[in-house]
Amino acid sequence: MKPQNPSLTAPQVKGLVQMIGLTRDREFNCSECLEHVSEYAEHQMTGQELDAAIACIEQHLKLCPECREEYEALLKILRAGA
Amino acid sequence: MTDEEINWPETLRAQDSGQQAAAVDALRGVLLNGLRIALNNRPEVSEAQLEDFAQDALLRVLDRLDQFQGRSRFTTWAQAIALNTAFAELRRKRWRDVSLDALLTAGDQMAEPAILPDDVLGGDEDRTRLVNALRRAIAEELTPKQRAAILGELQEMPFNQITALLGTSRNAGYKLLHDARRALKNRLLEAGITGTDIQSAFTL
Repeated sequence: MKPQNPSLTAPQVKGLVQMIGLTRDREFNCSECLEHVSEYAEHQMTGQELDAAIACIEQHLKLCPECREEYEALLKILRAGA
Repeated sequence: MTDEEINWPETLRAQDSGQQAAAVDALRGVLLNGLRIALNNRPEVSEAQLEDFAQDALLRVLDRLDQFQGRSRFTTWAQAIALNTAFAELRRKRWRDVSLDALLTAGDQMAEPAILPDDVLGGDEDRTRLVNALRRAIAEELTPKQRAAILGELQEMPFNQITALLGTSRNAGYKLLHDARRALKNRLLEAGITGTDIQSAFTL
């Protein structure tokens, strides 16, 4: 969809409301997410306990579809054993 | 030798040029293999593109070797950078025809009733109140750039593209969006719309 003629759909408004609901005063940005995502993905694969310092990566992944897409692709690689 | 047994950062910095070149080649192979797996559901991505992504990613990884802190396997860290490189390029191509003017104009229209109809979440009174408050908050609390950035996000425009159009870094762009979300949230709270109200609007 191109933004020249916007008309928000119900799912888009829902997405906006959801983003607002998830907003915290302190959040990881995309660079911080990239810095920690390999560690987070390995924790997810092994079920190890997560360091509290990087726990807010989960919140960033809920808010940022691009970082989430890259994280899911990383899991795919790890699951393939590559 | 397994991945765990190789000290990648040390080998990639080796004084012995033959050893270093071998490590660089091996890492390129690891990245290319990972990209093939990650993007195997995208038939539009050619082998030549995968090789370009792997090469670009390799250069980024080598440039950032000092930032690797050993909290994960080196190859997992490098794969994350490779995926970031590849997806950024794939997203950029999809949205390259959108201009800043178009994005800003569209963003300004976000507060208009036609864009956010009262009943967009359904005719329920609470939802209508939420949408009305949201429209006012968007109009009164956000800057044109914030409106444009939020609209771009909602329309699944790549974040790199949004920040490129707005002329900001990715981190500055994230802060722009974060400040916008916080302003909207605070305004909704001031209007008496609670977290529970927001949650209930999810069940469309």
